[in-house]
Amino acid sequence: MSKYILKRVILAIVSIVIVSAITFFAMNLIPGGPFNKEKAVSPQVIEELNKRYNLDKPVPQQYVLYMQNILKGDWGVSLNNGRPIWPDITSRFAVSAKLGFSAVFIATIIGVILGSIAALMRNRWPDRIIVFFTTLGTAMPSFVLATLLLLVICLQLGWIPVFDADNPNYILPIIALSVYPMAYITRLTKTSMLDALNQDYIRTAKAKGVARSKLIFVHALRNALIPVVTYLGPEIAYILTGSMVVESIFTIGGLGSAFVTSINNRDYTMIMAVTIFLAILMVVANLLTDIAYKFIDPRIDFNN
Amino acid sequence: MKKLVTLVLSGAMAFSLAGCGSSKKTSNANATKTNSDTSTLFINLASEPDKLDPALNTTVDGAALAVNSFVGLLTYGKDGKLKPALAKAMPTVSEDGKTYTVELKESKWSDGTELTAKDFVYSWNRAVNPKTASDYSYLFDVVARAANSTDANPVLDVTAEGDYKLVIKLNAPTPYFDQLLAFPVFMPVPQAAVEKANPNGDKPGAWAQEAGFVSNGAYKLTKWKHNESMTYEKNDNYYDAKNVSIKKLNFMLSADDTATYAAYKSGDLDFIDSVPNDELKNVLKSKELKTVDQLGTYYIGFNVNSDLFSGMTPEQATSFRKGVSDLIDRKYIVDTVGQTGQVPAGAFVPKGMHDGNGKVYKSNYFDATKTGSSNIEQAKKDFKAAGLEVKNGKDKSSFKVTKNGQAITIPYMINTNTGHQKVAECIQQDLAVAGIKVNIDTEEWNVFIQDRKDGKFTVAREGWVADYDDPINMLEIFSTKSGNNDVQLGKGNSTAAPNWKHYDELINKIYSSTDNAERAKLLHEAEKELMATYAAVPIYFYNDIYMQKSNVTGVYSTVFGNKYFMYAKKTK
Repeated sequence: MSKYILKRVILAIVSIVIVSAITFFAMNLIPGGPFNKEKAVSPQVIEELNKRYNLDKPVPQQYVLYMQNILKGDWGVSLNNGRPIWPDITSRFAVSAKLGFSAVFIATIIGVILGSIAALMRNRWPDRIIVFFTTLGTAMPSFVLATLLLLVICLQLGWIPVFDADNPNYILPIIALSVYPMAYITRLTKTSMLDALNQDYIRTAKAKGVARSKLIFVHALRNALIPVVTYLGPEIAYILTGSMVVESIFTIGGLGSAFVTSINNRDYTMIMAVTIFLAILMVVANLLTDIAYKFIDPRIDFNN
Repeated sequence: MKKLVTLVLSGAMAFSLAGCGSSKKTSNANATKTNSDTSTLFINLASEPDKLDPALNTTVDGAALAVNSFVGLLTYGKDGKLKPALAKAMPTVSEDGKTYTVELKESKWSDGTELTAKDFVYSWNRAVNPKTASDYSYLFDVVARAANSTDANPVLDVTAEGDYKLVIKLNAPTPYFDQLLAFPVFMPVPQAAVEKANPNGDKPGAWAQEAGFVSNGAYKLTKWKHNESMTYEKNDNYYDAKNVSIKKLNFMLSADDTATYAAYKSGDLDFIDSVPNDELKNVLKSKELKTVDQLGTYYIGFNVNSDLFSGMTPEQATSFRKGVSDLIDRKYIVDTVGQTGQVPAGAFVPKGMHDGNGKVYKSNYFDATKTGSSNIEQAKKDFKAAGLEVKNGKDKSSFKVTKNGQAITIPYMINTNTGHQKVAECIQQDLAVAGIKVNIDTEEWNVFIQDRKDGKFTVAREGWVADYDDPINMLEIFSTKSGNNDVQLGKGNSTAAPNWKHYDELINKIYSSTDNAERAKLLHEAEKELMATYAAVPIYFYNDIYMQKSNVTGVYSTVFGNKYFMYAKKTK
């Protein structure tokens, strides 16, 4: 197991380095630049800024300098606003993580429960209602859902203020973020639960007189959860990186908007930092998912 | 199954209707926290500002934050006129117009330390220093350099005589210099804090990157939740603090106009600086909607070196561009796209600008309300003069222009934006009358501004909002050496491009003119020369809209889009 993890960690580092190199060279190929303004900036100012941020050097040299700084723990400053990147990213991540974890937590609990109900009551009315709402949940784009929540809950009903500087409300963005994974997990659980319920070992257990609750929760559900775990790993990484749309509608300073605005601004240091940060999140999430398999399904053998 | 679906759908409808019904009770504007708090204004200007250092700011929303948290020698009053701020009175100007003397009021920074004339000397020299890399440092070009000034370490000829007197020497008389004294880049910055945060000289704006920095304006920033909100609190050391009744400004940092408009409608905001385009028609008659004329022009730029004019003489190319200009229905664009009462533009210098000689600058090159379909005959004449073939169509409302027997296609470049797209579509329809095809090329903002500056386009959407009220700020952008000369006048070797030497000479003459009456004449001459090329085809003059709740009074905006909140009053 530890040998396996070590191998995976080395592979992860290699992938992060590759991702960072591709991003670095690709972003330098996009036309435009970080100091482009509608009203032209004087060549002297551009020259000074290029010098300050090493942009006057050849791109490969810039990359080496950048990676050296990263190894020293220096993420640099944003070319757009001059603020240090690391505190900015971590504070944005704190917000995105709070929302993301809550959303995934709610989505998983409700999704697994609804999925199991749908499977156990297949073709009866609870199943049909669940299928209806999960289809709606997976089909509705997040900007529609988020706007709808804003207009109905905040504007029509007036339950939650649209803007409150002192107590930002995270309920609506969590709902907006959780609906899609919840619907997806429900469908996944239902399918794999149905599959598990038809397996021979369940029939055998039933024949041996195992209690129905034990049959469902211990024998069927445990096996049915493997696909859910497979989905959850990348989904957690994805949701933690924030959603530009949801953040924009609910005025949340998360990571999602950082990615999009940094690309629009050609804020090279910010693009790199967000990319590397996301790459790390992604590989960690994948690694944790694989380890989680082992606990859910002891048959999985890391050595082969 | 069908029954079930019907049941679910009707249930959902009943729920949403119930929601609508109860809304009438709960959306009572007085019930919100915002409305009951009369000492705080809840505002949205834009999303997170990039820089709060007044010397480094480049955006309109940043400038609005600057004028509320910093103050310079002069400022704008409610009437839109300049008035003394930290200056005791308007500056005394020497007879040759080149020396300005300003007596300062005794005032303090928000941390209680004295603010003296030396602070201005430091701040201005810092702004022009290349290490500071201030975009707006060019505004100091009119100020003379001291004897010990070098390129690497420029020193302005500005001296502090004692603590409260400032003597400023200019290169030439500058009729708009008073206005610059109210511009953010001319505001003082606290030397000790600036230098402490920037020991190596590579982080000039670091002192104002988080809440709590020292300022001298009506408000100081006390809380900043990045990308979410900012709280400014009244600065008791502000020179005019006794007249500031609003204690707090709370900014929602969002550029999502659906969200900000919802926040305004729900009563969570008192003031919004933008309205979603789709909602405009619903609010046009509202008393809460305010419209302010801006000194700026929306125009179409022709790249004078483009292949579109190949084989033409400069005169023919001009006639071609004029023909296109004739056919663009400006009134339709203003009425259907602009919608907020913009004025169709028949000149490049915006309506209401002053000529630097005490008068309003007036110019008009054509009747901009009558361009479009009523101008077809004129357009035909112009296209013929351009050496193009003009064939009459089946009826009088259309004709066909060709170049050497070939149909004409014009690529029109815009940045991704609904408004610009709609204007482009109007132009597309207008030119279809002459059988000219317009291809709309949409580019992402950063690429778009780069391509425009590099002249990598044929025709592009353009706009310019003046930084100060003087026509030179509109006209100098077309001088050959200007970085904003997107239409490439004077650049490149195209034989179809006009000779631009005389224009450059005119601009230089205006820079060094010592006689304001003569200068005003030169300005007109330059504009006439620019308009004669039809390289920059004006469409309309900008205006600025904002919405403000009826229980808020006293907020005012300048022609540059700066909003002043410090003299606002709010009732329940």
